[in-house]
Amino acid sequence: MSVTYKKTIPVLIVFITAILVMADYFIILPPVTEAGASWTSNTVKMLQNWGIILTAFSLGFGAFNLFLFHSKHISRRTKDQWLFSLWLLIVIALFTVIGVFLGPTSDQYNWIYNASYFALSATVYSSLGFYMTSGVYRALRIKNVESGIFLVVGLIVLAKNAPALTVYFPILDTTVAFIRDVLTTSAQRGIMIGGSLGALSLGIRTMTGRETGFLGRLTEEEKGGPMQ
Amino acid sequence: MVGRAAEMDRPLHFTTGLGSLTESVAPQLVAGLAVLAHVAEICANYGVKMIYSVYQAQVIPIATELMRAAYIKAGKPEEFQEEDQVRYLSGEQFAYASAVQGIAERERPAANIMIGPFYAESMLFAETFNRIGAIQLAGTARGYQIPFFAVICDYLLIAEEIYAAGAYLSKDPVVSGTIMGQDYGKIVALILMILGVIATSLGSSFIVDLLGI
Repeated sequence: MSVTYKKTIPVLIVFITAILVMADYFIILPPVTEAGASWTSNTVKMLQNWGIILTAFSLGFGAFNLFLFHSKHISRRTKDQWLFSLWLLIVIALFTVIGVFLGPTSDQYNWIYNASYFALSATVYSSLGFYMTSGVYRALRIKNVESGIFLVVGLIVLAKNAPALTVYFPILDTTVAFIRDVLTTSAQRGIMIGGSLGALSLGIRTMTGRETGFLGRLTEEEKGGPMQ
Repeated sequence: MVGRAAEMDRPLHFTTGLGSLTESVAPQLVAGLAVLAHVAEICANYGVKMIYSVYQAQVIPIATELMRAAYIKAGKPEEFQEEDQVRYLSGEQFAYASAVQGIAERERPAANIMIGPFYAESMLFAETFNRIGAIQLAGTARGYQIPFFAVICDYLLIAEEIYAAGAYLSKDPVVSGTIMGQDYGKIVALILMILGVIATSLGSSFIVDLLGI
């Protein structure tokens, strides 16, 4: 019973869903309606709708999780935390009340979104520049041969982006183009091919019940081989 | 990493990035969850508090069950505090990023593990955890973010290595065999590339036509 509940049923659901989605992508199975939809495309569309409903439901679950976590901190007056928690719950309540009563497309809702989250989001994104600077400082230190190569290549690219230097040393343009178009692109494509093969392999393992990481740490008895 | 957290009596932080179960990056998220289950079990065994930061609300029930099962397997179900260890932060990228940075600054985790799809927030996380002195393991298949992790983190999983991590941790010889299958796939890709270069240089488009490029 335990193996059936913890492994066989979830793996069977994953297998059937994956087969349906792949069948819909690669082949058109009859009967096909006048609108050009086959039974697989209708089924997959239905599954996608289920996914949307589950995602929407899980948002409520997330809000509940937030409320539990932060209300505990407020009630315990956790140092350096409870005021932030209180502010978060007030903002959630504010957005909810305005969204429910005035609508999420109302001017008032848009204003508080743009004036608060949008501005803050842009600020955090902009701060990335400072983090990159400190990261580059750490990266451009010679510790071994690889970091030495990294430093040389980094300095060439930096020099190319300084317009004055490109005027006096036009070779920088062609050198950086070679680094970007040949060296970097070939390495990136190698990583992409490896990543795609890895994703494919993970998909096959998951479909056949060999990859059970997403089901939790099963015991040896629960693992019990694929698709029992 | 867990041992370090145990010695320093500090938590371990884990996150799977901006992963969603319904997008093309879903395999990266699944790979991250496979590692999450393994790390949660080790943390339970060593008595280390593990904090999992969640971006997608749909992951909460899965992660909760994974971590609960890990604590049960370790024989310490009473030590799992769901609302404190599985934290939904936000579905907005930079609100989530700020919240993770807040956790790093306030709770000072001794270790940080990031496996999954990461975007602009990768640098924010890696730098913040580096500043507080946390040892870091990062892995992603998103090419643009790999250099950021490579520069800052102590350990790095590149692209297909994150998919292999779950198989490696399972210690199942058949599952580990799929990693060898990946290597054979890479050999085939390499042969096709060499043949493509030769054929195109000789004026033939046979390989290009064969692959439908």
